Amino acid sequence: MNAFTIALDSIWAHRLRSALTALGIVIGVFAVVTLTSLGSGVKSYVSGQFSSFGATLITVSPSLPSAHGKLAHHPFGGGPKQNFGNIPSTLTLGDATAIGALHAPSIAHVAPLVLLPITVSTSSTGSSGISATGTTAQYFRAEQLTFSHGSFKGQGVVLGASAAHTLFPQLKNPIGQKLYLGQSALSVTGVLNSASGLLSKTSNASVFVPIAAGLQIAGLHNISEIIVQASGNSQVNAAGNAITKVLSRRHPSGDFSVTKDTQILSTINNTLSTITTFLSGLAAISLLVGGIGIMNIMLVTVTERFREIGIRKALGARDSDILVQFLAESVLLSLLGGAVGVILSAIASQMIGQLAGFSAGLTFDAVALAVGFSLLVGIVFGVIPALRAARLMPAEALRTE
Amino acid sequence: MNGDASIPLIETHQLQRKYGRGDAAVAGLAGVDLTIHRGEMVALMGPSGSGKSTLMQILGLLDRPTSGSYRLSGSDISTLSGSQQAELRGRRIGFVFQGIHLLPRLSAIRNVELPMAYARFPASERKALAMHSLSRVGLNHLADRRPNQLSGGQAQRIAIARAVAPGPDLLLADEPTGALDRASGREVLALFQHLNADLGLTIILVTHDPFVGRHAQRIVELEDGRIIGDRAVDDRIQPEQPMEVHV
Repeated sequence: MNAFTIALDSIWAHRLRSALTALGIVIGVFAVVTLTSLGSGVKSYVSGQFSSFGATLITVSPSLPSAHGKLAHHPFGGGPKQNFGNIPSTLTLGDATAIGALHAPSIAHVAPLVLLPITVSTSSTGSSGISATGTTAQYFRAEQLTFSHGSFKGQGVVLGASAAHTLFPQLKNPIGQKLYLGQSALSVTGVLNSASGLLSKTSNASVFVPIAAGLQIAGLHNISEIIVQASGNSQVNAAGNAITKVLSRRHPSGDFSVTKDTQILSTINNTLSTITTFLSGLAAISLLVGGIGIMNIMLVTVTERFREIGIRKALGARDSDILVQFLAESVLLSLLGGAVGVILSAIASQMIGQLAGFSAGLTFDAVALAVGFSLLVGIVFGVIPALRAARLMPAEALRTE
Repeated sequence: MNGDASIPLIETHQLQRKYGRGDAAVAGLAGVDLTIHRGEMVALMGPSGSGKSTLMQILGLLDRPTSGSYRLSGSDISTLSGSQQAELRGRRIGFVFQGIHLLPRLSAIRNVELPMAYARFPASERKALAMHSLSRVGLNHLADRRPNQLSGGQAQRIAIARAVAPGPDLLLADEPTGALDRASGREVLALFQHLNADLGLTIILVTHDPFVGRHAQRIVELEDGRIIGDRAVDDRIQPEQPMEVHV
């Protein structure tokens, strides 16, 4: 006949009221656990997107000379990156060649990239809104882009998957078709498979030409950036150092920056963590409200059960026995609510994960947090009603007939 | 509390209990001197508001006096802490109330075990004592019944079994027959007389009913919080024999 048996019995005796009281905790725990689980689900989804190509990409981009030695942080990178316009590029094809000429074991592929400010169209006067990029064959290897038709060769142009669809909606295989870049007509030599990686999707809507031809057509001398793929995850830092070393010699003013995908990954992860924590914090407010609900009902319960308290005290219950009995009831109520919340949350994050296409299982952390929180809520909000019950003089309690 | 027989079980001096504060204070007890010895069966009588229930609650350690002294078995209860008082209530004092004060969610035997559970008796001893006590009131066959499956008289006898199970020195009964029909009431009163005669249990009956009072050996009358009469009962109603009670 311990406190928890009494508490369980009392909760069971008032099933509907107990269920409604615990509902606040159910909702609060459900919200906190679901958000935390979804947050970590999104996080591992993003990491997975990176690790499909190992987060081994390093981007060399132009920078202001004053940024020497600092690593610029692109909020999002990968694929053909934007030169944000206000920084004039001083990178050249020679820089890319110099990096390649290192033959460093940490470097697998080096690809110069130039964004061409010219129109892309199937006629000499039209425009399609599709961007043109000049690069080398190494780019496709570094970005793990594969060809559905043809290849990247000669003076030909390669189409991203959705660019091919936009430009030649009628054709299954547009190889040999003519495409105008500005006034120059080039023929299509290859089509890419659709890229699914989070950061390589931009390549779908681009067309690619050999970089020398591209520079000539657009009348440019400088390239936009250099994509380097390290030979493995552990080689990223060595590759980055090698690149910085060789470029520092060629650009003493330091007007370049070296950005690793791993940095982008950690930036995204930090951002996601912040958002998750913030949302979970908001959800925790509903736990607080649930706790107040429990306190309210426990106060009512104590008033209703004056007589029972009086009988128990007359039969020798100490103040502490009564305190523990009522505290056990609120803690148990809160824990039961928490358990139901966790179960609902497991179901919900499974469903959301399936709909959104990533796995969002319950994390141990989230469950531990929920259980700890509901325990805390039960104790904190149960103490006042339990103390009221415990301090009641038995004579006073028995007078209520 | 098992002390020597020459020390009265109960000894109060100028016991007062006031409700409220200052000028608005109402006196529940206005100075009560009362001595009760072990083995007595006493009826506290008086009209409602006379202070008889208040006195019983103070004697039973359910309430504290505003002033005056109360010695239980020779020791001053004002020196006892709350939990020491709770322990005395559980082990040494049994209560029987007017309404049926069984806990509705517990079976008869669980109710009887309750004071011993609070007094931290080992579970096996608790169970044995509870069964023994139930058979003493003749209801061991109803041990697993819930209170709502018992008649009023049966429930009150279960409450008496609960009160005497831990082996108390003092049994306090507040209008124990008030909610019962005449026949059940007489059964309960006879049970009290048996417990008093055979176990030497000291019993204090609180009642306004002269018929109930005549079952005691001594009647103490209260009015307005004071004792106005204290006399032996000449025309005592003796226990009926035989009874379906095994002492």
